[in-house]
Amino acid sequence: MAELVKLTIDGHEVSVPKGTTILEAAKQIDTLVPHYCYHPGLSSPAMCRLCLVEVEGAPKPLPSCVTTVTEGQVVKTQSEEALGHRKGVLEFYLVNHPLDCPICDMSGECDLQDYVHLEGRKHGRGIEPKRVFGRDDFGGDVLFYGDRCVMCTRCVRFMNEVEQDECLTVVERGNRSVIDTFFDEGLEGTHWHGNVVDICPVGALVSKDFLYKARAWDLDHTPSVCASCSQGCNVLLHTRDNLVHRVKPRENLDVNAWWMCDHGRLDYEWMNVGDRLEAPLVRGNEGTRTAKSWKDALADLLERASALDDKSVRAVASARASNEDLGALAELVGAFGGGETVFRSPRAEEEIVLKGFPTLARRTDLAPNVKGAGLLGMKRVGADDATGGLESVAGHSGIVVVLGDALADQPEDFGSKAGLYIYLGTHDSAAAQAAHVVLPITTHAEQEGTFTNHEGRVQRFWPALEAPGMARPAWLILGALDAELTGEAGPQTAAEAFAELSEAIPALGGLTYEDLGTRGAVAGTKGAVVGTQGAPAGAAAQAARG
Amino acid sequence: MSDVPFKNPGWAGNTGEFDLTEDQVRGDDFVGERPKHGGHASGAGTMPYMLAGKNPEGPLFEGEYQERFEKILTRYPTKRAALLPTLALAQEIRGHVSPESMDRVAELLDLSPAYVRGVSTFYTMYNKRPVGRYLVQVCTNISCNLCGADEVVEAFLNYTDTELGRTSEDGNFTTIEAECLAACGYPTCVQINSRYYENVTPAEVPKIIEHLKAKGGD
Repeated sequence: MAELVKLTIDGHEVSVPKGTTILEAAKQIDTLVPHYCYHPGLSSPAMCRLCLVEVEGAPKPLPSCVTTVTEGQVVKTQSEEALGHRKGVLEFYLVNHPLDCPICDMSGECDLQDYVHLEGRKHGRGIEPKRVFGRDDFGGDVLFYGDRCVMCTRCVRFMNEVEQDECLTVVERGNRSVIDTFFDEGLEGTHWHGNVVDICPVGALVSKDFLYKARAWDLDHTPSVCASCSQGCNVLLHTRDNLVHRVKPRENLDVNAWWMCDHGRLDYEWMNVGDRLEAPLVRGNEGTRTAKSWKDALADLLERASALDDKSVRAVASARASNEDLGALAELVGAFGGGETVFRSPRAEEEIVLKGFPTLARRTDLAPNVKGAGLLGMKRVGADDATGGLESVAGHSGIVVVLGDALADQPEDFGSKAGLYIYLGTHDSAAAQAAHVVLPITTHAEQEGTFTNHEGRVQRFWPALEAPGMARPAWLILGALDAELTGEAGPQTAAEAFAELSEAIPALGGLTYEDLGTRGAVAGTKGAVVGTQGAPAGAAAQAARG
Repeated sequence: MSDVPFKNPGWAGNTGEFDLTEDQVRGDDFVGERPKHGGHASGAGTMPYMLAGKNPEGPLFEGEYQERFEKILTRYPTKRAALLPTLALAQEIRGHVSPESMDRVAELLDLSPAYVRGVSTFYTMYNKRPVGRYLVQVCTNISCNLCGADEVVEAFLNYTDTELGRTSEDGNFTTIEAECLAACGYPTCVQINSRYYENVTPAEVPKIIEHLKAKGGD
């Protein structure tokens, strides 16, 4: 434990580790000193001059983002002097700012708006014309509005220190200085540039993908986990009108800190795709499919199963399914009569490592729960583009269960020899034509559950969207079937489903949803203190940077 | 002694102190011969070479210039530190620092092109666009401004028939405003290439320009 320093901030006694900055220490009493250039994941140049606070004994106001605490220090963040200094600085920020909030994408989540509203002058005194830069396409997903920029250089430092591809810089000097790339050479080819949009405190860097799509205050934020690779970046799904509009990283120093890759950030449209399976479909003897209620569909399914002689199971799972879904599938396979479960998952050629935070990378496994499927004893088959490998399943004569795999590469007669073919999916598929029962399931954005990332960290996600029609989480469906077969009560909540699974799988070591919290826990570490949570963000980032 | 009737006090007659003629002192560019390879390494990066035989398309850092570039590198602990003199050398060769020059400098010094662009645009003494043979920088800061610098700028622009920052049609003159040239005692100060002309009034502008035109090429 680092040595603790006691100081007084706004009359409150605070005790923080030595080396903490005043700005971070003030967060302990829920005081956020306004700042632009400071970001816990980046170096602090103290150039925005907005985080000035009064320190007793100091001749001048001090920038709290770089001033470290000292024993007995008396800091006033809200004194007349401190507020006066910040008010002055804010007035300068508005000298050239266009105040085009009504058409600015950042409006509603803009630090300049917030701070001016909080501490700024009601009316500007500037009468000079504002200088105009216009906008510039930085390439990739980033659009730059030079007039809105407050020159905090967070984006420049992100590219230098974290992505370590110095393709942004400050061009020109004085009031003409502006962020730019090397002439027409933009941000294309970099894999983490979406983060500069996140860390931009104002609307200078905006996402082209999100441009004019929604107002910030209309969006609901749901904590989730990125499903685009096995890193398991913590994210927030920003939704409105039951559509995901964008994905933003959620701070978790053990996994992705404040960052996420562009690949995952822009891979959300699939959650909004319509044309979903909305009701259980049961195939009659003449081959036509009829929509039925859940009760009838499951009764039909069980009746057909009980009539079978060959109850050996071949199941195809998906590494995009949650631990709960996969666990329920494993239970059901056991209840039917046992068999092999395989899954296919696409694999990228190489990892894309974030150099300044090397524990974060776009992993080669492009599905979120490859590790989870592996822990449940499921076998990975097929090629690196997630095709093929299903020969033993396609012609199986017993029970075939498909969970979440769209089988896009499989022919129409897939599973036609099976005594019972159950297809659980979000979308209909050509290879589902022979299925006796087609059951609509939800995506991870529509259900509660967990993924196990590449290092075995189990992380929860929450439902952000309403499921279409009668679609239900797979664990609920499979659990109900399992309950009918075994006579035991099935899980009623995702928490119950996970608890059951965690009891059954020694590798999970009895973790529960309470243990996981919002930031997850590594499987097998129940009770042990792991990770850097709890340490001040700045110190942890310092440690991460080395 | 001279047939150029300047009232410039910079020339105090031949005091015997320097072995220079008035023509050399009042000349339009360099004093004496300076080798392209830069002479001794200690001076290679700092000598005020400007616009000598510039060629906007010329090869960068080849031959003698390559030798000089290597001498510059020996003077600094890191390659990054050699950025400013290297850019100055590129400007000497080509007359301005073009995007291609920045890219080449970045490659030579293991820097990112964006960083080199940031540095070269920060400093006003790097020309980011081609300039005429004579770069006329008129100080318009306080002292000179009080003594009529704006009229001097106007005079240069009118006499060379061009606009601020543009090059005259004959390719000879580019006039720009400069911030303080540190000759506040002799306003208005005008820097033409590496030379100062002090106490310049609008009436003298035609004489200066004709003098420079008469000098012609190097």
